[in-house]
Amino acid sequence: MTFAASKFARFLPSATFAMAAEYLMGLSDSVICGQILGEEGLSVINLMQPVFNAVSFVALLVGTGTSVLYATEMGRFDRRRASELLTQGLWTALLLGLGLVATLACVRHGATAAFGVTGGVLDGARTYWAWFLPCALLESLAFYLSSLCYADGDGRLSAFAYGAQLVGNCALSVPLTMKFGYAGCAVGTTIGHIAAVAVLLLHLRRAENSLAFVRHFSLADSGRICVCALGDASIRLCQAVLTLLLNLYVIARFGEGRLPVLAAVLAVLGLSEAFDGVATAAQPLASVYIGESNDRLTRRIMRLAARVATAEGIALTLLLAVWPGLVTGLVGLSDPVLVGPAQQAVRLVALGLVGTAFVMLLNSYYTFRVREGLAVGLTALATLILPAALFPAAGHLFGETGVWAALAASPYAALALVAAYVTAKGGRGAFPLLLDRARERASRVYDLVLEPADVCRVSAALGKFLAVRRGLDERKAGLTSLLIEEALMLIRERNAGRRIHAELTVTWKEGVTIVVRDDGRLFDLTDADTAVSSLRAYLVSNLMVAIPARRNMTTTGFNRNVFKI
Amino acid sequence: MEIKTHTDGATLTIAVSGRVDTVTAPELEAGLKFGDATRVVLDLADVPYMSSAGLRLLLSAHKTMLAKGGELQIARVPPAVREVLDLTGFSGILNLV
Repeated sequence: MTFAASKFARFLPSATFAMAAEYLMGLSDSVICGQILGEEGLSVINLMQPVFNAVSFVALLVGTGTSVLYATEMGRFDRRRASELLTQGLWTALLLGLGLVATLACVRHGATAAFGVTGGVLDGARTYWAWFLPCALLESLAFYLSSLCYADGDGRLSAFAYGAQLVGNCALSVPLTMKFGYAGCAVGTTIGHIAAVAVLLLHLRRAENSLAFVRHFSLADSGRICVCALGDASIRLCQAVLTLLLNLYVIARFGEGRLPVLAAVLAVLGLSEAFDGVATAAQPLASVYIGESNDRLTRRIMRLAARVATAEGIALTLLLAVWPGLVTGLVGLSDPVLVGPAQQAVRLVALGLVGTAFVMLLNSYYTFRVREGLAVGLTALATLILPAALFPAAGHLFGETGVWAALAASPYAALALVAAYVTAKGGRGAFPLLLDRARERASRVYDLVLEPADVCRVSAALGKFLAVRRGLDERKAGLTSLLIEEALMLIRERNAGRRIHAELTVTWKEGVTIVVRDDGRLFDLTDADTAVSSLRAYLVSNLMVAIPARRNMTTTGFNRNVFKI
Repeated sequence: MEIKTHTDGATLTIAVSGRVDTVTAPELEAGLKFGDATRVVLDLADVPYMSSAGLRLLLSAHKTMLAKGGELQIARVPPAVREVLDLTGFSGILNLV
């Protein structure tokens, strides 16, 4: 397993768990209200989906934007700038969160009236909305902290926070809903959010924490953060609008009684959140590689992510094809008149999940690259424009089945359109990653586990490659070879008894630059004044004096040392 | 790695060829047997590369010879190896000829 694969594999379970937990959290109030308050409860929470999406939109905007820009600046070795963006991210989370609370409070009556529902459903929606308001701020803070924990290599704490939020929410919402109805359910959700924020704050007290806040305030940076994540976050906004349109269409065309079927369909569409786990796991490394302009490794990590996304998409499609009752049961559907059509709808909409997985991954990737136009375009096409254009026509022709089929087809159609656009603009091979083949050819990557035979093989191969193929003078090639052997063996020496993965990138566009990454104990290899505990450490220390262009930065929880020969 | 030895009276000449790194150093260590020789010449003309694993052996051989009242000479040191010896200050300790 390569260094990148081992890091990705380490992040993936926690990221997938976190996203699955977030998805279940979104679903939990539906389930709780559906089970305790009946199908009216389900309809109320279903009507709240646009609010949930708006809250997620703001949270994603701040969390994703800050973590992507932070990791990219760390990739460029600009810690000061990274800390400024980190600080401004916090200000942005507070400002946007409070702004959203105020906005939602102002539009509560008008918006619920516009749903076109009456009686218990209208009263329930208004009550839940009012008590849910603090979550608009808490969600922004929680997602901001969670994203930064990831960027700082603490995926486990992030996953634990989501777990705490889910468990706290469910444990409290059930008794509170039984006692206080919709208000109790919303209060339980709020307390769950507070639990998540409290857990995430623990990261700032951990020894491995490298997040540092500085005195900084810049509205321009807030703008940068928001624009950067627009593509990723706009998924929620598009979903909010699509949900609203679907609600209105279903009520008008099939009647309010079919809303529970739509709730099952929305639960499947909401699985796109779970797919975000793949991109979340890839983001810390991908952003650093992008910051380093390392196209070869960027391609490698995204290929890995694409394989996992495909596998997840296929697995979920098969699961729902075989067991659609999982969704209908989860949303509390029990009326036999509704269960059959809802299960058929689940099967049909699930056919779009592989495409959705790709849309989510690609959208995140364009966000990492700060290609927000492309990210927003893909998102808007896949989650709003194409489905909104297709489902009324398909519904008119084929009824409910046509609506669900249109939703399943939309992500594939969006991918085809974006592929055509990117290829037309950037030529063959530009889609999907927009990478520079010439820059990829001007670099070489070596992956190894730090064992003497592997280290010496790579050291010799690199020296030979630089001298023979790149025309580097023999003295410099020999020095590079020596540096690699000694540095890697010193890392091994400092991690006795552990299996350490390392990754070496050599680029030669402007002089020879070597980036050495390893997942061993954190220490600064480039420090010429480090304690000399062996002959090897002594030689490395002297080599550092001989190579003045060198830098070290702990990034995403791993060592990163750069040498310019 | 190849190690050739030649004895001329009390002088033992050891000619080494190949890289001396972490993996090959034990092989060289096994070949550094001085017997009764009081003067050892280590010929490094065909050593293109030497890491700290090789330096440790040179230092150890130097100390062994000093302890028995003999002498270790490091001969025909190529520029790449010379640079490592200079970098570590070993060129001032070892007897380079």
